[in-house]
Amino acid sequence: MKKRVHLVFRTDLVQKPLTWEMSKKFDIIFNVRRAKITEKTGESVLELEGDEPTLDAAIAWLKSQGVHVDPVTHDTMEG
Amino acid sequence: MSQKMKGLKCKECERLYPLQAIHVCEFCFGPLEVDYNYDFIKRSLTHGKIESGPHTLWRYWDLLPVETDNVISIHEGMTPLFHAKRLGKELGLSNLFIKNDAVNPTYSFKDRVVSVALSRARELGFDTVACASTGNLAGAVAAYGAAAGFRTFVFMPADLESGKVIGAGIYDPVIVGVHGNYDEVNRLCAEVADMYKWAFVNVNLRPYYSEGSKTLAFEVAEQLGWRAPDHCVVPAASGSLLTKIHKGFKELEGIGLIPKHKTKMSIAQADGCSPVVTAIREKTDILRPVRPKTIAKSLAIGNPADGPYAARIVHETHGGADTATDAEIIDGIRLLARTEGIFTETAGGVTTAVLKKLARTGIISSDELVVAYITGNGFKTIEAVAGRTSPMNEISPKLEEFRELYERVTAVPPRP
Repeated sequence: MKKRVHLVFRTDLVQKPLTWEMSKKFDIIFNVRRAKITEKTGESVLELEGDEPTLDAAIAWLKSQGVHVDPVTHDTMEG
Repeated sequence: MSQKMKGLKCKECERLYPLQAIHVCEFCFGPLEVDYNYDFIKRSLTHGKIESGPHTLWRYWDLLPVETDNVISIHEGMTPLFHAKRLGKELGLSNLFIKNDAVNPTYSFKDRVVSVALSRARELGFDTVACASTGNLAGAVAAYGAAAGFRTFVFMPADLESGKVIGAGIYDPVIVGVHGNYDEVNRLCAEVADMYKWAFVNVNLRPYYSEGSKTLAFEVAEQLGWRAPDHCVVPAASGSLLTKIHKGFKELEGIGLIPKHKTKMSIAQADGCSPVVTAIREKTDILRPVRPKTIAKSLAIGNPADGPYAARIVHETHGGADTATDAEIIDGIRLLARTEGIFTETAGGVTTAVLKKLARTGIISSDELVVAYITGNGFKTIEAVAGRTSPMNEISPKLEEFRELYERVTAVPPRP
């Protein structure tokens, strides 16, 4: 299955190759659709492909590293 | 095929898509927006045509993303715009206007976006509509869903205050109370929106839904005698409202219905959820998501979809950006009530508090024609000001006791 995710990297994570590391640790194909980086923050919009448990584990690992991971829809909840 | 709409267009890569219930560009995953045929619209749209239209937001039908006249309306829009002289005097602003959108059918500006979204949902053949909300949006979707005969699903956090559950529940939707933290509820709703072929108003119908906010620019321009204000102060949650008000003024200028303008767009967020203001202050267009912690629940969007676009508009129009703490929000609610007789919800408290800061710091100058947008009604968040309103003075049914009370209260100097 495929998941579309929006990743935001804190300043201290911007220079770390976390997406590469994720693909080494988990059997995931990642496809970068959009990315932006500044001195303070980085963001990338990816399509991740793999089986569901592996995708969930990979996303949990990214979060454990301090990356903010959201579906591409951002927050669906409104006031 | 619509003549006034060309299709949907990606805000990032500008790829074009058909006018369907889609919201994400398949190429770059950017958000989609309605792309209009302004040359066509310009040929027939005049002040007279608008002014002779219905006394609702549908008088601006030509600039809204629907194809038929068969719209879903419960008389939203055309809310009051008035010269707020007493508040203006207190803040040192001689030309302050309040757009009071707290008097829509379900008491918030969400009636605008939902009226447009559900009208489009019906055109696209949906029989079920849905949303995830902590308040205003839930009430609006439930009400318009009822009025149009849709099957309606409203997702909420299970621990939401009973007033908000009743405020939506009275319209008979299916209410789904989700046990989980903010992120979990959000993620579930994103998955539901992907899986079920419903009109999820702020997900797959988002390109149409968000266009309804433009009418807050159209009405203000018309109410000011067909001109744009010098300065707008707009509260921000997803950032969509600010971007669409800006777009609304630009559209009117583009088709020649108002003169050229340089309206400054200022943004108001709560201190406990201010990713857009933070990005503006840090001069970056990448937003760092936050976990909301504020009494302004209607502005509590930690990862706002239109945040980067709102930040860019504030920067480009030379507007200001500021935040309000919970205490300042309550003071803002009380200030607006005390000076203008308008009881707003916490989002309006944020707007008023930030308006005060922007006036004090000179970001809004004293003679600018400034419009502050009040987007929701105070009766929705009554708990926020409980204990901060006039106390009841209890007496026995004896004239003597009233006389004593009268002397006590009149010893206090009258309000300026």
